[in-house]
Amino acid sequence: MDQPSHYNNAPNLIFILLIITATSSALVLGSCQSIPNTDPESELIAKGRDIFFNETFNGNGRTCGTCHREENNLTIDPAFIATLPDDDPLFVAEFEPALKENFENPRLMREFGLILENLDGFDDLPNKFTLRGVPHTLALRTSIESPQGPRTGWSGDGAPGDASLRSFATGAVIQHFTETLNRIPGVDFRLPTDEELDALEAFQLSLGRQKDLMLPLPLKGTVAKRGQEIFRDNSLGKCNICHSNAGANASFGGQNLGNANFNTGVEELPDQPQDLTGELVPPDDGFGTPGDGTFNTPPLVEAADSGPFFHNNAIETIEGAVAFYDGESFNNSPSGRFLASIDPDGVGIELDGTQIVEIAAFLRVINTLENIRQSIESLEQGAQNGFAIRNAARRAFGAALNETNDSIRVLEGGGLHPEAVAHLQEAKRLTERAARRLFFRKRPADAAIRELQAAREQMVEAS
Amino acid sequence: MQKSLIGLGFTMALLCGASFVHAERETEMFIPIGQSPGLSDKLTIIGEVQAVSADGQTITVGTPSGSHGATLTERTKIWLDRSTVKLTNLYGSSSDVQIGRTVEIDYENHTPNGSARWIKVKITEP
Repeated sequence: MDQPSHYNNAPNLIFILLIITATSSALVLGSCQSIPNTDPESELIAKGRDIFFNETFNGNGRTCGTCHREENNLTIDPAFIATLPDDDPLFVAEFEPALKENFENPRLMREFGLILENLDGFDDLPNKFTLRGVPHTLALRTSIESPQGPRTGWSGDGAPGDASLRSFATGAVIQHFTETLNRIPGVDFRLPTDEELDALEAFQLSLGRQKDLMLPLPLKGTVAKRGQEIFRDNSLGKCNICHSNAGANASFGGQNLGNANFNTGVEELPDQPQDLTGELVPPDDGFGTPGDGTFNTPPLVEAADSGPFFHNNAIETIEGAVAFYDGESFNNSPSGRFLASIDPDGVGIELDGTQIVEIAAFLRVINTLENIRQSIESLEQGAQNGFAIRNAARRAFGAALNETNDSIRVLEGGGLHPEAVAHLQEAKRLTERAARRLFFRKRPADAAIRELQAAREQMVEAS
Repeated sequence: MQKSLIGLGFTMALLCGASFVHAERETEMFIPIGQSPGLSDKLTIIGEVQAVSADGQTITVGTPSGSHGATLTERTKIWLDRSTVKLTNLYGSSSDVQIGRTVEIDYENHTPNGSARWIKVKITEP
């Protein structure tokens, strides 16, 4: 018997109804989750993020994110720079005639990741400048306060105005965003408003760790565990004196001295890569004008995946950076001599090859643990974001992926924890799957989190 | 032992605290009068130069809240703020601090009537 035609169409109708229902649900859920966040601090951070990565301040096209790349630990290095197109604003000195001279040294930027700064004045641009690496902007909440006031930038005096992190952006716009070397506000750039400075500060303070570690950690790896012991041994590694809990604050005799400046002799290193090029590289005198030779202490938890190291990018590897403290440049510096003066045997820092690698292994492991923490945070955030805010989800999964990739690179670079690396590789695969999905991202995201937790358990005892 | 540790801690504090953070970042010279973040209208004074001593080392500035003195030292930086005439700012000298000109003064240790850390002098003619 022939059925009425509408019976024949029933499966199609059911399918269409299902699609409509699913789409409506997704839109409702999505719109529910995209209700504007009414937390004023979150709104300020979101505004700051937008300014940090998108605002050019009517200048040469650069933003804060030009040098502080979100996908590269908020810094840049030669390997990353090599991936950028030639018209990236980072290279503005290569294609903007007004900035061709005395704004950057393109060769040293591309080869060593060095950025030109006129720290000691703008009255002799061809000869008076310094070339510095780009410090990451992670864990600023824990790393810029001192009894003398906030310390920003490589020499601790990076900001004009009241020298605060809030004021830092104003100096950065003047130095790095200008359309011409006249640096006239309202012509070559505009200065950030008070509201923009507030937002930028909030965003920067939200990045990375919000508190210091509490060492010692119950590490499982033999090498990293010994590295931690040496790191904390004030008669051997002595690292913990200036980098308390592997952070950026000094601690001695039970006193927390906050974030500090030291002259560690980096400028005295022989055969610095940039000096070998024949390019003009004036000495960097550090804090103040004229400088006192001191530079600011960076946090170490974030170090292993954010090299090259020191203010002038002089050393490429974390092992090399640790080995620096065993060398003559450090031990003859004011800081090295101070350590020798309080050592019963009159020794500054004296380490052997195995000990250097052990400290570096410790730094690699704590960096990976922090990356895993950030990856999990990003995955959780990405999984919560509904269909309607898929860009936020994609960004969160992208951040998780970057951190996981860094974790793999950092551990493999030191030949550490191969089992953890296997878990990280699986976490990477699952994160990529979550990032590709429009719906049902939570399942692969949760699975990725479990793999990250398993990787962490390979390195540290569960607390 | 406790005392020696405290002593060493104090030495360390001196060693790493020797640098006061308020060394001047040179980008300050390009910030127009009244717009220095965290300083202008809070810790600096802005007003018109009313008097300059014979040796040019002491000045008096009239502000809405009254007159303030300032001493120019060899450390005092003087900048010419030409932003209102759309010209680049320049380094100046004590001879640029003239009666009738508008200035902004940031004091060392932010102590009014003391030594000036920097002075911005508004230049209104090209």
